[in-house]
Amino acid sequence: MGSVTVKGRKISCGEGPLLKSLLDAGVFVDNPCNGTGVCGKCKVRILKGECSPMSETEHRLLSDNDAASGIRLSCMAEAAGDVELEVLQQDRKGKVLTKGYLPEFDRDLYEDGYGIVIDIGTTTVVTALIDLADGAELAASSMVNAQKHFGLDVLTRITYEYEHPEDGARRLQEAIVHSVNDMIKEVCREAGVRAEDIREIDVAANCTMTHMFLGVDARSIGRSPYKPVFLEAKRFPAKEIGIEAGENTVLYCLPQVSAYIGADIVAGAYVCGLQDTQKNVLFIDIGTNGEIVLASGGRLLCCSCAAGPALEGMNISSGMRAADGAVEDVRITEQGTALTTIGGKKPEGICGSGILAVLKELLRTGIVKKTGVFIKKDKLSEADYRYPMLRMDGTKREFILNEDPLLIVTQGDIRQVQLAKGAILSGFTALLLKAGITMDELDHVMIAGQFGAHLPADFLVGTGILPEGVKEKIAYVGNSSKTGAYMALMSQKARHGMEELAARMEYMELAETENYERIFTESMIFPGF
Amino acid sequence: MSTKEELLKRLSDGVVDMEEDDVAEAAQEYLDAGYPAFDGIMEGLVDGMNRASQLYEEEEYFVTDVLLCSDAMYVGLDILRPFLPEEEGNSKKKGVIGVVEGDTHDIGKNLVKIMLETAGFHMIDLGRDVPLRKFVDTAKEEQADFICMSTLMTTTMGGMNDVIRLLEEEGMRGQVKVMIGGGPISQKYADKIGADGYSQNAVEAVKLAKRLLDIA
Repeated sequence: MGSVTVKGRKISCGEGPLLKSLLDAGVFVDNPCNGTGVCGKCKVRILKGECSPMSETEHRLLSDNDAASGIRLSCMAEAAGDVELEVLQQDRKGKVLTKGYLPEFDRDLYEDGYGIVIDIGTTTVVTALIDLADGAELAASSMVNAQKHFGLDVLTRITYEYEHPEDGARRLQEAIVHSVNDMIKEVCREAGVRAEDIREIDVAANCTMTHMFLGVDARSIGRSPYKPVFLEAKRFPAKEIGIEAGENTVLYCLPQVSAYIGADIVAGAYVCGLQDTQKNVLFIDIGTNGEIVLASGGRLLCCSCAAGPALEGMNISSGMRAADGAVEDVRITEQGTALTTIGGKKPEGICGSGILAVLKELLRTGIVKKTGVFIKKDKLSEADYRYPMLRMDGTKREFILNEDPLLIVTQGDIRQVQLAKGAILSGFTALLLKAGITMDELDHVMIAGQFGAHLPADFLVGTGILPEGVKEKIAYVGNSSKTGAYMALMSQKARHGMEELAARMEYMELAETENYERIFTESMIFPGF
Repeated sequence: MSTKEELLKRLSDGVVDMEEDDVAEAAQEYLDAGYPAFDGIMEGLVDGMNRASQLYEEEEYFVTDVLLCSDAMYVGLDILRPFLPEEEGNSKKKGVIGVVEGDTHDIGKNLVKIMLETAGFHMIDLGRDVPLRKFVDTAKEEQADFICMSTLMTTTMGGMNDVIRLLEEEGMRGQVKVMIGGGPISQKYADKIGADGYSQNAVEAVKLAKRLLDIA
């Protein structure tokens, strides 16, 4: 058989109509009627080469002008030899607000029906139902990733695959697919939409989650040289992995860059316009892994820093999830310690943003020194307002955040946060060094992610996760992973843009970076006051 | 002119205070004054490093602080070492250290190596992502007394077990002590795979090595 060339890309062309070859090759063609010759939407213009003669259906559905300019319906026309063509889509412009920043973009994909966007996080999964006609979000749902039974972090789940080589990957897949099916059911019920009417599901996730969602062996991600089985975008019938939607519902998984820079980050970088900015823009998603992308001088550099779970309130002696009663802000003055808790409830523990708030104050008041160590109690006069706030547990120093119930911050807690801060700041510093720019030359710092959204700029620079100099440049973009999946669902251009972006992003392995240990060590130093 | 004691104190303090320049200056003055390099190393630099590890144990210093101290110590060592009368390395106990295959996180391993060297062990550092076989081969070639392995990842810890099995196959297990450490490692895991010991941090690692090798 012949070949088909689209936008300079040559794809192989099998038997049957052009539409099939195009879809098989991952080229999106709008075809609401699934190629039955009813809707007339799957227009292509033949630029070069010969096709089968015009069918009755095409004569009926295409105008004379269309026919004269070489336009055919791809569900009818078959190639007779090599063909070059372009896919025609109606350009639509629109702007819809979802949670998080959404740039203006062309909506050029579907004209009707429904779509689903999913952000699969290691901890939380977010699903939204979208009306494809106007781009409106009809319903949204979020739940804890059911894979948590196999471990809280990606490495533990990968270890599960190592320990269960026969069925580990399958069981992890079943867990997440089951969650996704539940959420699809839920959003459809809420909006009164039939799951069969879902035309496409777009998924952004980190690389491990994408592998596990598709049932692909993720073990190689967990060991040096950290090489995933696949990185490219995937597009195939959703039912193939057990998704319960329509018979023809398509699943699209956004492209990825490396084992630790996944589709969620590609999506976020695209949402922030890193692909075509002329400025120096840094994108950062703060979580258990801090992923950073820097756009500078036409290059896109990225890295991932293992921050550990401290910033999410884990591994902290008085840590808790961000729920009612969690300390989320604090002010330490000569009058004492004033706490703000979620829901204004009695303090029960400290959540991730809370531990940063506490640390910022401890640094500001000199209770914790630049090196991260508590000031010695016996160096303070008893009249000092800080004196009663410190206590000794043997030789170990602790800060009393609250008396009843007793909430303490230990030296170990500070060290956990310090490690996270050091990891993120070292990534930030290494990328700037690699790009050859200084902090002052940065134009924007975009903070993404659910957790980042709860971190005010003064927490971030007050604890030295980011340098003081970028404080005024910080902007928050919310769940940009989900927003990116949304753009991919609505726009062919965005989809191509993300695939191009993913291919352009240069991954930097921090551990292999020259002088990394030195950079990391210096990044551990807290800001001094 | 400073006395020997003053210079030794400056060497020691320079290490504790992470001041490379101070250490370099003091080391040079110390040599120029004609004092023996060996004392400068042991009573100056190593003394400082021991004080730093004491501070680490008391939680005053953190991993990265100790690394900075060691940077300062090595600056001094580079200056003093060429003036040691002769290698007395043969009497030292020999250890092979590395991060097991599949893992590239080596900051913890580096710290353990520094502490062991400071304590007088001769350490052969295989680096990170070390093929398991290499631990055994190196231990054999070098006639090492012990092997230290670390990993930060649960996905790679199984490699430690494999090394112990390889040692058994080679009939070397009786001659080589095995100590392990790292984020996901525990005493329980050490017992499970039959390692001779586990240490939670670098200071503990020195104590463990001394205990395993019967050094007072």
